[in-house]
Amino acid sequence: MRLRVLTGPLGAVAIVVVLGSATMLAAGVSPIVGFAALVGGALGGRQQIAETLVQTTALLFPALGICLAFRGGLFNIGAEGQLLAGGLCAAAAGIHAFAPAPLEIAAVLCAGALGGAAWGAIAGMMKARLQASEIISTLMLNFVALFAAQYLVNGPLRAPHAAGPETAALAPQAVLPVLIPQTRLTIALPLAVLLAIVLQFVLSRTTYGFALRALGDAPEAARRNGIAVARTTWTALALSGACAGLGGAAIVMGELHRFNTQLSPGYGFIAIAVALVGDLQPLWVCLSALAFGMLQSGGLAMQAIAQVPKDAIGVIEGVIVLVLAARRYIVTKKEIAAA
Amino acid sequence: MTATVVAALLWLTFVKATPIVYAALGGVVSERSGVVNVGLEGMMTIGAFSAVAVSRATGDPWIGLVAGVVAGALAGAVLGWAATRWKVDQIVAGMGINLVCAGAAAYGLVLLYGQPGASPQVPSLGEAYRVLVWFALVLAIAFQWWLHRTVAGLRVRACGENPHAVAAAGFDPLGVRLQMVTWSGALAGLGGAFLSIGEVNLFSDGMTAGRGFIALAAVIFGRWTPLGAAAAAVAFGFFEALQFVVQGRVPWLSANLVQAAPYVAALIALAGATGRVRPPAADGVPY
Amino acid sequence: MAVALELTGIRKAFPGVVAVDGVDLALEEGEIQALVGENGAGKSTLAAIAAGELRPDAGSVHASGRVGLVHQHFELVERLRVWQNVVLGTEPRRGPLLDVAAARARVRALAERNGLEVDPDAMVEDLPVGVRQRVELLRELAREPRVLLLDEPTAALAPAEVEGFFRSVVALANAGTAVLIVTHKLQEVMAYARRVSVMRAGKIVARMETAQTSLDAIARAMVGGALPEIARRAPVPLAPCLEVHELRAGEGAGRLDGVTFAVRAGEIVGIAGVEGNGQTALADAIAGMLPYEGTITFAACPPEARAFIPQDRQREALVPDWTIVENVVLGRQRRLARAGVLDLRRARRDAQVVVERFDVRTSSLDVAVRTLSGGNQQKIVVGRALIDEPRFIVAYNPTRGIDVGAAALVQSRLIEARNGGAAVLLVSFDLDEILALADRVLVLYRGRIAGAFGAHEADRARIGRLMAGAAA
Repeated sequence: MRLRVLTGPLGAVAIVVVLGSATMLAAGVSPIVGFAALVGGALGGRQQIAETLVQTTALLFPALGICLAFRGGLFNIGAEGQLLAGGLCAAAAGIHAFAPAPLEIAAVLCAGALGGAAWGAIAGMMKARLQASEIISTLMLNFVALFAAQYLVNGPLRAPHAAGPETAALAPQAVLPVLIPQTRLTIALPLAVLLAIVLQFVLSRTTYGFALRALGDAPEAARRNGIAVARTTWTALALSGACAGLGGAAIVMGELHRFNTQLSPGYGFIAIAVALVGDLQPLWVCLSALAFGMLQSGGLAMQAIAQVPKDAIGVIEGVIVLVLAARRYIVTKKEIAAA
Repeated sequence: MTATVVAALLWLTFVKATPIVYAALGGVVSERSGVVNVGLEGMMTIGAFSAVAVSRATGDPWIGLVAGVVAGALAGAVLGWAATRWKVDQIVAGMGINLVCAGAAAYGLVLLYGQPGASPQVPSLGEAYRVLVWFALVLAIAFQWWLHRTVAGLRVRACGENPHAVAAAGFDPLGVRLQMVTWSGALAGLGGAFLSIGEVNLFSDGMTAGRGFIALAAVIFGRWTPLGAAAAAVAFGFFEALQFVVQGRVPWLSANLVQAAPYVAALIALAGATGRVRPPAADGVPY
Repeated sequence: MAVALELTGIRKAFPGVVAVDGVDLALEEGEIQALVGENGAGKSTLAAIAAGELRPDAGSVHASGRVGLVHQHFELVERLRVWQNVVLGTEPRRGPLLDVAAARARVRALAERNGLEVDPDAMVEDLPVGVRQRVELLRELAREPRVLLLDEPTAALAPAEVEGFFRSVVALANAGTAVLIVTHKLQEVMAYARRVSVMRAGKIVARMETAQTSLDAIARAMVGGALPEIARRAPVPLAPCLEVHELRAGEGAGRLDGVTFAVRAGEIVGIAGVEGNGQTALADAIAGMLPYEGTITFAACPPEARAFIPQDRQREALVPDWTIVENVVLGRQRRLARAGVLDLRRARRDAQVVVERFDVRTSSLDVAVRTLSGGNQQKIVVGRALIDEPRFIVAYNPTRGIDVGAAALVQSRLIEARNGGAAVLLVSFDLDEILALADRVLVLYRGRIAGAFGAHEADRARIGRLMAGAAA
């Protein structure tokens, strides 16, 4: 078990080093210079570290949701849409404050979670009642969310004097307090870590988590042993969506203070890699999110300083997912050899 | 609506359906052999990008087309290899392919053309794009016939239902699956190439816009048959074509919402189709 | 006589178990040899290696021609027709095209030549188990094997069908095919095989000529000593528990077509029958897993007091990657929780109790169940089912595929539960098991009860005839 947990991160690091070096060399840059720029960009100073942690937070919320769904055998690839839905709901709820700061923040976060949950629940109900593939439905819902959001910020929800398509600014009570002054890092980070701890507890110690894991690991045995398959399915997708929705809310409430459709550079998809590298265990996913956060924030610096296109990171992330898919096979082979 | 509008809508339906038909046929060939291919989107993307890159480099769009097919086939082969030799989780591997191809295309844009987001304009197929539209429909019919009338088709179907029976019958289901997934990548690549150098003359980030997944919905709605999947793909093509006809004519219907039509249609098709149909029995199960 | 098949020094290991541990075997042309051994002895693995389906870790296989294998669990494509299954791999063709007419003709000719009745156009999924086996046999025969391996060939046949089956086998042997029958049915071995090799724990422990040995001698060699004893049924006062009236469930060939019976507290009712006559529909309907018509009434037996031992432990009862502790929680998670949180300490204690009471051989409670032998896995399943002292138990093939020691323990625990006042519904394809355990025997044929017997009047021959659909 210990060995298995390590193969994910170690494999991922190896891929980053090997592929990263290859892309750097292809761009005519020494890997040492390139990686130095990457790490410096990620951790080189107070601003850089804060930005890395901001990226970590943005990835961690959806990754936790994906982790939850995947443990139940449900392939939620709609985190991007659920994130948008959550951000939109948070923005809509937070424009007019009705309570003092702590309460308002809690309420707006709830709105974000509910928005994401609703979006996840659509796919969840389709799977639970109609056995409709959640892979296809969650992905379709990504696009529906995008177009619905575009429609809303171009029309009904558009801010009166805005330069581009976006909502009005949040009321000051709905803005997340900053953690490190003069940075974009807010209390969203500790909230995300808290969520991870809660999810770890739910998965390992509660009957709901037990049912979810059984559903994912042995669906027929789960069905025959008292687990309510339909209910567990749609609630899992709803909860998964809620986590991603919180991520969208955190971006709206922490960084942008309003909603527009550009708020995510694909966090919902990168989060799939984050969850897999974290071995689908919430606490390890936190570390994984940190690593990917470093890649995201360091990538820009790497591009600026070492002229390595940051898009190379996208390829690297994909290869990580592909290679990790093979992990189970490698582990099984080892067991046979040991016998 | 006048006759010309209807005719235009009809033709536009088939044009819009063409990439989905190719990808859906790819989905069918893969799943009938027993491998779930959620990487169709990525294979379309890499096909679209490769067609543009090679078309520009050689100046010949037809060589570009071949390059698109080959690129898709290579991506398919990677998935096939992962599925047959390493017995990976096929869905995770497929998503990995999607990420790799999307990233590779974005990276390629910067590497080759120095600008992210979109390529410059390249030589396209021009009027010859019609050939690909007709070819898609011909291929669907030929594929249906092949699956049910030839020896190879029987063997592929057997692989998707019970690979153990196939092994007992004396040939290797893994080899068949690898071949079929490679073909499915080639088909998806062809669909992607049609998008980039058939319909238009450039590649832009995200131009496949989920068609690879709509194709999967078409496969399910079409009950894993080539003709059924193609027919479903044409239906989705209709919803996409609707955008161009409706725009401007129906003032209260926002352009954004109409854009969502094919995706909502796929959702409805998915909701209506499943539960009553059965995929190949060994679909998605590593052998 | 020439040797048709020679296995030398075969060794094969899987995670956690050495299935075949240095086996030599020789099979002559035209002979019928039997390979016997209890469940888990390694027979099926050896057969698969001999047929070339599995590669041994060590040793070699030499055959004078093609080796065909008819599997214990058939390898047929259900959604294809009989003729498609039979010619798969040797399809008659016209260029790339399938020559359908030639294929169907070939199947008909083959069937006739071997005395095996089939309808070439039938869909395999619609066929009863006995006919499916004929299809699989035809597929192997279509490839003209010099050596034919039959793995538990009569497991799914009614006693009356066995004779017809062996007529075909004897004819094949007389024509020169070397036949190896893997089985644990010793009467058939004595009747039809010339030589018998006995396998135990992966090794060949005895080779005998059937003319010079006895059934008992073979049985003793199989088990390596005396057969373990099982508990005795004690006289117990009976009380109502389960009543089933005109129960219908499922569809197609294996459906349940209207059964009425009762199981009382303190007795074991055995449902005898050949696989595919409605047993699964019956078990699933009573377990609440299948919609049904008719009535199922429990008396003084709430849902928490009912236990089910399903027939497929790997898929229906266990999560193979989970530990013993977690698997003992499965199905009882609400019982072991307070306010939604699992009491892991109690769970561990329960697991410890199961391991001790059911003699589960394991190094720790935290190993993945996947690494345990079939017998140990089944002991965990049964132990978990019985730990909360249920009032009603459905046991569906509770000793299928496990070694004799584990089987005896499982059967003893079921009898002890019955002695303690539980009602037990035993559904089994193994008539010997039913006769050993049941107080009453009901014969299931084509979804209906064809006959009922008390323990003392249970006549193997009569029951066998009813199982095949003949009159008693």
